[in-house]
Amino acid sequence: MDATPGARPYQQTPRTVSWRRAAGHLGRVALGIVFLAAGFLKGLDPAEFVHQVAAYGLIGMRLSGVAAPALIVLEIVLGVTLVAGVRPLLTGLASILLLLMFIGIEAYGIAAGRTEACGCFGAYVQRTPAQVIGEDLLFVGLAILAIAGLRGWAGTRPGRAAAVLVAAIVLSGAFVVASPSLPIDDYVTRLRAGRTLADLDLATRLPELLRGRHLIALIDVTDPRAAEIASALDALASRPGAPVVVGLTPATEQEIDAFRWTVVPAFEVKSVDRVVIKRLYRRLPRFFVLDSGRVMAVYDGAPPEAGDLLSSEAS
Amino acid sequence: MTVKRTAHRMLGVLPVVAVALLLPCSARAQAMVCKPNYDYSVEVDGSFPKNATLYQSTTPGMYFIDVPTCKTGLLMDMKARKVVAVPRDLVKTVDGGLQLSDTVPPAAAAYALAVDGPMVQFQAEDKKVRILRCLDRPPIVGAVDLDALVTDRPEYREGMKAYSPDPASIATMGKYAKRVQIDAFFATWCPHCKEYMPKFLRVMSEAKNPNIKLNLYGVPKGFTQAPGPWQGRNINSIPTIIVKVDGREITRMASQPGAEPEKELAGIFDAVK
Repeated sequence: MDATPGARPYQQTPRTVSWRRAAGHLGRVALGIVFLAAGFLKGLDPAEFVHQVAAYGLIGMRLSGVAAPALIVLEIVLGVTLVAGVRPLLTGLASILLLLMFIGIEAYGIAAGRTEACGCFGAYVQRTPAQVIGEDLLFVGLAILAIAGLRGWAGTRPGRAAAVLVAAIVLSGAFVVASPSLPIDDYVTRLRAGRTLADLDLATRLPELLRGRHLIALIDVTDPRAAEIASALDALASRPGAPVVVGLTPATEQEIDAFRWTVVPAFEVKSVDRVVIKRLYRRLPRFFVLDSGRVMAVYDGAPPEAGDLLSSEAS
Repeated sequence: MTVKRTAHRMLGVLPVVAVALLLPCSARAQAMVCKPNYDYSVEVDGSFPKNATLYQSTTPGMYFIDVPTCKTGLLMDMKARKVVAVPRDLVKTVDGGLQLSDTVPPAAAAYALAVDGPMVQFQAEDKKVRILRCLDRPPIVGAVDLDALVTDRPEYREGMKAYSPDPASIATMGKYAKRVQIDAFFATWCPHCKEYMPKFLRVMSEAKNPNIKLNLYGVPKGFTQAPGPWQGRNINSIPTIIVKVDGREITRMASQPGAEPEKELAGIFDAVK
């Protein structure tokens, strides 16, 4: 009993409850979509995410090879369960814990002088660690909104929730495993026929490619198959009327030299900043024909046949 | 009649056949043209002689190395994994490079070479020669004079020669009346500096303005942890060019693809009048 004369006890009217719950659902679904998008975009190039996780220097490459795909699956599963309304309190708390972990890692990155992109939304969306911390704080706000707004709401029925959980784990796991083999490079990278050198962010870096016809080989010179690829490219380059072959690689100058002195390719190999070149491929090697600075054709996995080069010239 | 015609045809074809047979010989007799490649340094017995230069041939895998203290020139054949001594009278200086006659004596001395990661090394005459990327040379650390820098680093010297700054911007810089101090922090091991600094240094040498004072500082690897004039100045990346007008820091410049430092500096001077 309230002792203060005239004071009335606070009562939640059905209207306040419905507003609170609506806000909670909004937070839950919005956060779920964010996690789904983040997991999906990372899953488009799991190998790059492994590289990005290892680059933080917190865990080694081998452990990153396990942790990165697991993180992708976790994000997708969390996204699906949030959107489907599975155990809202539990998924909300799990989201906050995951986001706080991300914030901690980014703060460590800033303290260590790291300025490069985090890879939180995959290899093709670039943001600095400071931007990421700001976004993650916003997402923590969404999670708090979901937890507070959905107090007393049990969520999806247990049977259906279990089915959603199992399906999300199986499907996201299958996606991460199958993704590198899916023929989606043209959609998820910048490199595709019709693009210009400027679209690829190479016009100012490699202005010599703006004129004439070139076969560009995106290669990893440290890959044991690089010698075989160089041999095939040398054979192509020696044909009359063949385009000028140029190799581009994310490798260091020292790695290029080791390749140059041992393999002795007949073509030039240049190093391009990893941030720039990574937007052009998911897996190496990749090749493209460039005519007066415009991409005419793209080839994945192996250099084009001489006949293909002639046909791309005709087109 | 038919026999005569056939004989005539044969006679007509003979000169063509003769020319065709001679063609490969004349192609082989073509001299090899080599251009200097300043991305690489030639180390001789642990030091870097000023004029020791690596020349790159148009033939893949063939390089000519000029070590002034060697009696002969050195032709490095990466495919054959050997270095052949080339008499100097077979090497001619041509426009911006060298021309090697193809008639190297069969008895010319040859030396085995070894590839050690990014380096090639061999022993020629009594000298130990190593070819390494110029960025891998021991770095210049601390304050350095422009003349000393370009004398020691051919990649900077030749990069300066190759750059043509915008004359209008140079004129603006040349006329600027305020007192300017530019502190340039760079590294001889840094690829971005190798692209940017020769342009910047060419601009500074062209401006010829006594009001503009340039201080150059070479920074070591891991410079954020190492003591030196770069400490306490909030330098996180290189190159960092700090521009001060009348003792007050106005701005900082850094490298970027396609940078034109003279335009940037002229713009700064136009803004601070």
